[in-house]
Amino acid sequence: MLLTLDLNDSRPLHDQVAGTIRRAIADGSYAPGDRLPPARDLADALGINANTVLRALRELRDEGLLEFRRGRGVSVLGRPDARAVLAEAARELLAEADRYGYGPEEVIHIIRELS
Amino acid sequence: MTSRGRAVVALVWGVLVTTVLIGLPLALRDRLPDPLATHWDGGFIPDGHTSFGGSVLADLFLWGVGWAFLLGTALRGTVLDTRLWRALWWGFLFGWAVFALGVQGLALYANLDVADWRQAVLPGWLLAAVLGSALAAGAVAGLLGRGEPDPPRDHPVPPSMRLRPGRRAVWVSRTTNPWLVGLSTAALLALVVAGVLFTTGILTDGAAWISLIVLIPLTLFGFATSSISARADEKGLSIGFGPLGRPVHRTPIGEIEAAWVENYGPSRVGGWGVRGMPGTGRITLMLRGGECLVVRRVTGAEIAVSVDDAEHGAALLNAYTAETVTS
Repeated sequence: MLLTLDLNDSRPLHDQVAGTIRRAIADGSYAPGDRLPPARDLADALGINANTVLRALRELRDEGLLEFRRGRGVSVLGRPDARAVLAEAARELLAEADRYGYGPEEVIHIIRELS
Repeated sequence: MTSRGRAVVALVWGVLVTTVLIGLPLALRDRLPDPLATHWDGGFIPDGHTSFGGSVLADLFLWGVGWAFLLGTALRGTVLDTRLWRALWWGFLFGWAVFALGVQGLALYANLDVADWRQAVLPGWLLAAVLGSALAAGAVAGLLGRGEPDPPRDHPVPPSMRLRPGRRAVWVSRTTNPWLVGLSTAALLALVVAGVLFTTGILTDGAAWISLIVLIPLTLFGFATSSISARADEKGLSIGFGPLGRPVHRTPIGEIEAAWVENYGPSRVGGWGVRGMPGTGRITLMLRGGECLVVRRVTGAEIAVSVDDAEHGAALLNAYTAETVTS
């Protein structure tokens, strides 16, 4: 599972972790039924607390994306809805725009020009 | 030489050897006792005998098993694509023939012109001579038949991805083989049972030692290879063995040439667990068939591990490798 964290993102860490896992499921690298790597592996790799990862996983379970099974770990239950995925992508776009000195209003303007 | 050419050579040579194995004892039959001495103890005094027909059949069987194996591998062409396997094949074809002929020759020589099999004494130096000439014939044939050095192995176009500044990207994956977990658990249970039986005095010292020597490595190695966790980050690829992810095998990013995905299963590497085929330069950690992440070092050595989502892992490693090369 590919995980990316934005070092400048001001959102809470568990939200960011939930976002990156949501995207991994959305892009199809984890299909319904597949088992996720253990939370401890994810936390170790990201260099964060395992509880933060668990909190993110619980959020995704509450969204209906993941399923917790005793003794069998965490597996994918369904795909995220399009709006959640788009929101995640838009958030990334805004972060990227911010790096180039563009604010949300200017990004909206660019999108209008495109459509 | 093509695989068909090799099969023809193996066939002609094999028929020749078989003819000698049948013809020589028949030609000498009048000068041999029946039954023949066919087994000698350490002092080269005969201690076993077989009828004439049985001894010829045993010699044919000894040769025939090797011959059938060689014919089979020659017809399955891809096996002999590497130089090492070609050398082994040619070496075995002639070395095994010399060995089979020599073993028969030894027995015939010892039995020649004796009235009874108990008088058939086998000189020890002859046995050494047969083994030595079989090895020498095998070595020479292997050297002559090995052919050209292997061409450098090519690999599929390695995937890559964009690394964005200010972002930390890592990839993790884990594979668990429930069968290996079951086997290791069974070994652990057997160890506990053996311990209980020993403390209650049912198991003798000798049996306890044997079960320790067999079961402890089985348990440890079983658990270590029942589950594999892989992680790719800016430092490189680390592979953790066992449920605890220890020990860890690391491939630093600076030593990685390329990473990619291949699809193969246990049948190609000879089973489950840690697998290496001589001549391929690759170690595979095979826990299930399917996609495997393959990483080649700058030295040419490769390590492959059967994990899910390998495409992303390979892409991330290649992206980090490109960064270290350019910076």
